[in-house]
Amino acid sequence: MKIDGKFQEISKIAASNTSNALSKLIDSQVSIEMTHTGVKKVGDLNPIISPEEITAGIYLPITGDIKGSALLIFPKESAFILCDLLVKREPGTTRKLSGLDKSALKEVGNILSGNYLAVLSNMMNIKITEHVPSFSFDMFGAVISQIITKFAQKAEEALVIELEFVFKPATLKGYFLLLLEIEEINKILELLGSQ
Amino acid sequence: MDIEVKMGDLVVTKSPDNLMASGIGSCLVITLFDPKLRIGSLAHCMLPTRNGSCSGSDTSNPKSNTQGSIRKTQYEIRYAKYVDEAIDKLLERMETLGAERAGIEAKLVGGANMFKTLKMDMGSKNISSAREKLEKAGIAIIGECVSGGQGRSVEFSTATGIVTVKTKF
Repeated sequence: MKIDGKFQEISKIAASNTSNALSKLIDSQVSIEMTHTGVKKVGDLNPIISPEEITAGIYLPITGDIKGSALLIFPKESAFILCDLLVKREPGTTRKLSGLDKSALKEVGNILSGNYLAVLSNMMNIKITEHVPSFSFDMFGAVISQIITKFAQKAEEALVIELEFVFKPATLKGYFLLLLEIEEINKILELLGSQ
Repeated sequence: MDIEVKMGDLVVTKSPDNLMASGIGSCLVITLFDPKLRIGSLAHCMLPTRNGSCSGSDTSNPKSNTQGSIRKTQYEIRYAKYVDEAIDKLLERMETLGAERAGIEAKLVGGANMFKTLKMDMGSKNISSAREKLEKAGIAIIGECVSGGQGRSVEFSTATGIVTVKTKF
């Protein structure tokens, strides 16, 4: 599938919207690097983080005119720092994720993917529903494989949008991964093109 | 030699190689071992069965690894997306190397559900598919470290047949 200029443009606006939302949430400057926008084999989704690195993963199923999955990933130390900021603790005090921390991180997932998808929905004039977030704190490979498997059932490839959050100061790292089913997005792009 | 087996791949080899798979969630790792000949194999599977759920041509055209060094060390990588098909391929390849089916021992690792709120528990389906297929094939399962909500990494020694499972927290 050809990812045309129009979709690239929409993706960029959505990414910028998402980084603004995160900046506001943690009251710190966050920019975004789009590391990938395009079709990828779902089995090749693993390279961002080492498969054994412990990460916090927030997963949100997406339904509506397009179907897919949003996954927000924070390596362990970044998740702890983020919780300090979100729950207003002294920096460096989170050593274990409490129920409140997990809820806060899920809410981050909600807000970020909501902001991204709102732009897609408005600019492409489609209905997108994001569902209740699920949380997992474990090896990155184990966390992401469940999402990959969900896609692998239906297709070999997905439209993949990978965003890396660049924080200032740079002690935090985070990734946003959006996987969308190609067939449906193709139809929408055709419609966009004919308008 | 340590050989990492990625998701959807399988490897058949002989002692003293170690077969490894890291960051296993809902995927299922199946190890088969012939203790007499010390032939071991490992499949890192994603889904229980093809069952018409995917039209991909991947498994009918096995991914061949063309690196010269791989052929020299007597192992090969093939696509192993589905549990049932992977078991067939492991057995076929091990028998080609001289293993006798009656002596082959199986171990299962993985099949977790990493997101508890998810309705789709692919891990459990993977485990059931493997148990069913192995029973039909007449292979005894002598060890399991499956289910739950935790990720795992596996190291399988084809010298001893021992499977070591690592979790992280």
